[in-house]
Amino acid sequence: MPAEAVIETRALSKIYRDFWGRQKVRALKALDLEVYKGEIFGLLGPNGSGKTTTIKLLLGLLFPTEGRALVLGKDATDVSKNERIGYLPEESYLYKFLNAEETLDFYGRLFDITPEVRKERIEKLIKLVKIERARKRQLREYSKGMTRRIGLAQALINDPDLILLDEPTSGLDPIGTREMKDMILELRDQGKTIVMCSHLLADVQDVCDRIAILHQGELKELGRVDSLLTVEDVTQIRARNLTDACQNELRDVIARHEGELLEMANPTTTLEDLFLSIVSDSEARPGRRVVGTAAKADGG
Amino acid sequence: MVLEKEVLPFFTWLLRGEGATFADGEGALVLFAIVVATVFVLALVGGFLVSLVRHGPIRAGEIAYNTIVGGVGELLRTSFRRVAALAAVAAKESVRRRVWVALVVFGLILLFASWYLKANNTQPARLYLSFVLTATTYLILLLSLLLAAFSLPADFRTKTLYTIVTKPVRAGDIVLGRMLGFTLVGTVLLAIMGLGSWVFVNGSLAHTHRVDIESLEALRSPDGESLGQRGLTSYDVYHKHDLTIDTDGSGVAEGAHSHTHQVTQNGDRLEIGPAEGFLRARVPQRGKLRFYDRKGVETARGISVGNEWAYRSFIQGATQAAAVWTFEGVSKSSLVEYADGGGEYLPVELIVRVYRSYKGEIERGIQGSIQLRNPDTQVKTNLRTFYAKDATIDSFDFANEQTSTDQLPITILEDLVTPDGRLEVIVQALDRNQYFGFAQADCYLRRPEGSPLWNFIKGYLSIWMQMVIVIAVAVTASTFLKGPIAMLFTVAFLVLGLNREFFVKIAQLESYGGGPVESAVRMVTGMNQMSPFDPSSAVSVMKGIDFVLAKMMLGLSYVLPDFSTFLGRVNFVAEGFSIPADALTRDLIVCLAYVVGAFVIGYFCLRAREVAK
Repeated sequence: MPAEAVIETRALSKIYRDFWGRQKVRALKALDLEVYKGEIFGLLGPNGSGKTTTIKLLLGLLFPTEGRALVLGKDATDVSKNERIGYLPEESYLYKFLNAEETLDFYGRLFDITPEVRKERIEKLIKLVKIERARKRQLREYSKGMTRRIGLAQALINDPDLILLDEPTSGLDPIGTREMKDMILELRDQGKTIVMCSHLLADVQDVCDRIAILHQGELKELGRVDSLLTVEDVTQIRARNLTDACQNELRDVIARHEGELLEMANPTTTLEDLFLSIVSDSEARPGRRVVGTAAKADGG
Repeated sequence: MVLEKEVLPFFTWLLRGEGATFADGEGALVLFAIVVATVFVLALVGGFLVSLVRHGPIRAGEIAYNTIVGGVGELLRTSFRRVAALAAVAAKESVRRRVWVALVVFGLILLFASWYLKANNTQPARLYLSFVLTATTYLILLLSLLLAAFSLPADFRTKTLYTIVTKPVRAGDIVLGRMLGFTLVGTVLLAIMGLGSWVFVNGSLAHTHRVDIESLEALRSPDGESLGQRGLTSYDVYHKHDLTIDTDGSGVAEGAHSHTHQVTQNGDRLEIGPAEGFLRARVPQRGKLRFYDRKGVETARGISVGNEWAYRSFIQGATQAAAVWTFEGVSKSSLVEYADGGGEYLPVELIVRVYRSYKGEIERGIQGSIQLRNPDTQVKTNLRTFYAKDATIDSFDFANEQTSTDQLPITILEDLVTPDGRLEVIVQALDRNQYFGFAQADCYLRRPEGSPLWNFIKGYLSIWMQMVIVIAVAVTASTFLKGPIAMLFTVAFLVLGLNREFFVKIAQLESYGGGPVESAVRMVTGMNQMSPFDPSSAVSVMKGIDFVLAKMMLGLSYVLPDFSTFLGRVNFVAEGFSIPADALTRDLIVCLAYVVGAFVIGYFCLRAREVAK
């Protein structure tokens, strides 16, 4: 049985015009795309490639010049589709004079949610995005990371089926980034569909099931992340505690089978893993300098 | 008080206006329908033409169809729950932007007002009321303008609108939410200002006097019986009163500076109570005015004394010239019982504009006469003379029992009022070569007075309606314009609305100096307003452009609110007249019509706008 398409675009195009109707820029060219239920879909591309324009067209924030976008079976300009959508914009565009509770209560009131359920969700989301201690502070006093968190919370207030995230990890520290990525995966596990656009390739690689790469408004690549990234003619072996003799033997085996040895060395950890390890160790044992130890523990 | 336009009964205004029947099409309802239909057609044609240029005929037709069908359908799905949420945020936004500073400003205005308001004014209540009502009007209009014009553009600029329109929120929810939120804030501020104003006016007018003992003299009847005392009060707050005290010690400090005081005896001391009658809410029953000229021939108007403002016309003294008011619906209920129970009287009040062709005895006033007459039988009462002072309200209590000019005993109800309830009041000037000026509103039968506090609230209600219209227009303008431009647009709307009559006069090419282009040419070339242009093709072009502009202005005048009418309501309160219920209902309907119209236009403008562009 084919997967249910949550988003469908057919020859979706967008031309920005000036006041007099003259063409300024062709931001999106005949985009054909389908996003299926329960997947994490990534829109990739450099600045100005049309990622954000696509998201805005899907949300009805912009009107297509040509083509059509269907979201949850409805036209993208149909407001009623928003009942089942959550959106985290690139910057968290929220009312700075409200505090976290007031913000979530305000956005909750825009949906058909009973006061009891709204209250319950506000509590749950405040805990989920970890801003319990700042719940009564006006958003103008929030750091960028906290603003992203409350932004995500408002996107989830209606328990949406489809979540659109524009640069979700932008402005977050490595811990926040990891937590955001974990939350995205958790939401996918709950059966929600997620569309995210980002230019941080590592983030997209970590969480996305499928990606589309846009460049100058055109779709350049579309497919599953694992198949797109698989290098067919290279085999990778990882092992622990090999002696020099064993390594030499492996080199001989590869040579005997006419393979080309590309690399055999001790791997390095990523800076993200190192950072997270140090912070977690520091929280467990405050005051102790841990540089080196953590690297050894992780890499070795 | 000046009442240039007659206040028509509500349903007359709504259904037929100045016309004789509904079919004449001058009723407010018909005009509203014409304006709505015209705006709808213009918007549809304009929108289609723009789409035609940008997208071609098929797509333009599709957009027009979707806008009407989808737009109307969505408009009907406007949700009170979402509107309430958006209104609450708009209100919070206003409060957190320190909107209450307006109250501080208002407080400071009241604090320093006494420096500038002359307490020696003969009508201090009018002065104070006029001041607080005017100050409140301009302050609240300015505040609502700033709040409403900048809020939505700020949401566009900061992109907070992105997180709202991606919820199931319709454009109508956003427009109505803003209007409602700012109206709530404005209403609270207006209520506080109203309370402050009421306290300020009453506090400023409050005063008392002492009895000037040395001025007291005994009053005795011709047979020597004591009738009480007569004298003066002390001179305080730039005035003093004549005192009349009964034998039991109670009395009254008679009218001066538009108020009186009660006098009571406390032991062997005479005490004067607080000021009474400053704040009034007279309820006039108005009649129709016609004139007789100096030879006694009936005319529609009196003569002109050279005043450019033709509101009043004049009758000459010591001639047969007279002003005659015909009142309808006069019955027993029009009569009032005397306080001592000694019969009934018909209260008539008269405002006389005195024009002196020579100075005469300036303190004495000009002598005039007033009579009641039966319009059918021509039976009339004896002349009752009075001395008229310019622009003051003279009260005449006509006892039901009167004597006719034939010296026969008559009664008002039986002999002067016709079976269908008509009665005439005739006023003449008696001093030779002096003139009385009258307009229709200057003579009326006084009905039982309304509550001054309720009348004051009605005055504030009138300000509130102006505020609501300004908010509605500013919010609508902000759906398609940037903040400063939306503010300028609304200010233009307000200024043109305040001067609507003049605007219409220009639009009808009836003003001196011609239309807009002709006036500009006259200004630039230093040419006076009356000199005609020499015929030339350039002049023809100029007049042609003016003709087109005038037609456009005339069209625009139909959607301009007549703010001068609203300001006129405030004058009712300051002058001590009750705002008629017909006028208030009419104003409420006009306000509602503007809100609905502005809401629908704002909805379609916001719906057609790309939020993220």
